[in-house]
Amino acid sequence: MNPFGLVIGFLTLIIIGLGFVWVIFGERYFSYRWWPYVIVFGLVLVGSSMFIDNDYLSAIVGVIGASFIWGSTELKDQAVRSELGWFQYRANKIRAPFEKSREMGTGPDK
Amino acid sequence: MNTIGLIAATTTILTIWFGHVLVRELEARISRILPAILICVLLGIIFEIGAWVSVQPAISAASGIIGITFLWDALELIRQEKRVKIGHTAANPRNPRHARILLQYPSATTVDIMDRNPRGSPYTQAQIESILHPLEIAAEEKTE
Repeated sequence: MNPFGLVIGFLTLIIIGLGFVWVIFGERYFSYRWWPYVIVFGLVLVGSSMFIDNDYLSAIVGVIGASFIWGSTELKDQAVRSELGWFQYRANKIRAPFEKSREMGTGPDK
Repeated sequence: MNTIGLIAATTTILTIWFGHVLVRELEARISRILPAILICVLLGIIFEIGAWVSVQPAISAASGIIGITFLWDALELIRQEKRVKIGHTAANPRNPRHARILLQYPSATTVDIMDRNPRGSPYTQAQIESILHPLEIAAEEKTE
């Protein structure tokens, strides 16, 4: 019997749950335009998990990295949800570096 | 090099993506969601047992993550139906269950209101109404 997978599964559930929370607050205060930085952060975490000897810690860092990669793709949808009034909308957001030089989300239609 | 983290991360992304698509497509097509919920719970339990009996850490971790996402998907099937009822997800009128929802819940709609890019400012109620009922709004404007 091996509790490793059960523990990792349970911790994954908590990490995914927390992912919903940080996506909501991240979009509210930082805007969806931070998504490239979030995805890079997630990739760095996944990459660094390969240099951790402890299996539990390596798996958890990998899962956290994966939740950041997934969350980065959710930021744009979350921005629409807050604009539609389903979540609190905050006009003054912390701008992402080089935001002006990138063309993203220029209109209401996909 | 320890590949456990990479395996766990890959499994997490693939299962979240798969679960996302599965819940959305399945809920829109099936006329009864209870059997799908029970199958997801059953698969979740089977994979968790697989994680418990597996000796290989990588297989145990992957099985544990797959199992937990199936259990999560069971819950998401219920939440997805609620989203249809409140109009946050488009209803499928060809699905008898969704057709009933469209009749019973005035907030339910066949318009996918999420199919847009962020525009940088909140929508007014009138703007949301014009997205959800473009023909009715246009007719009202014509009569005025």
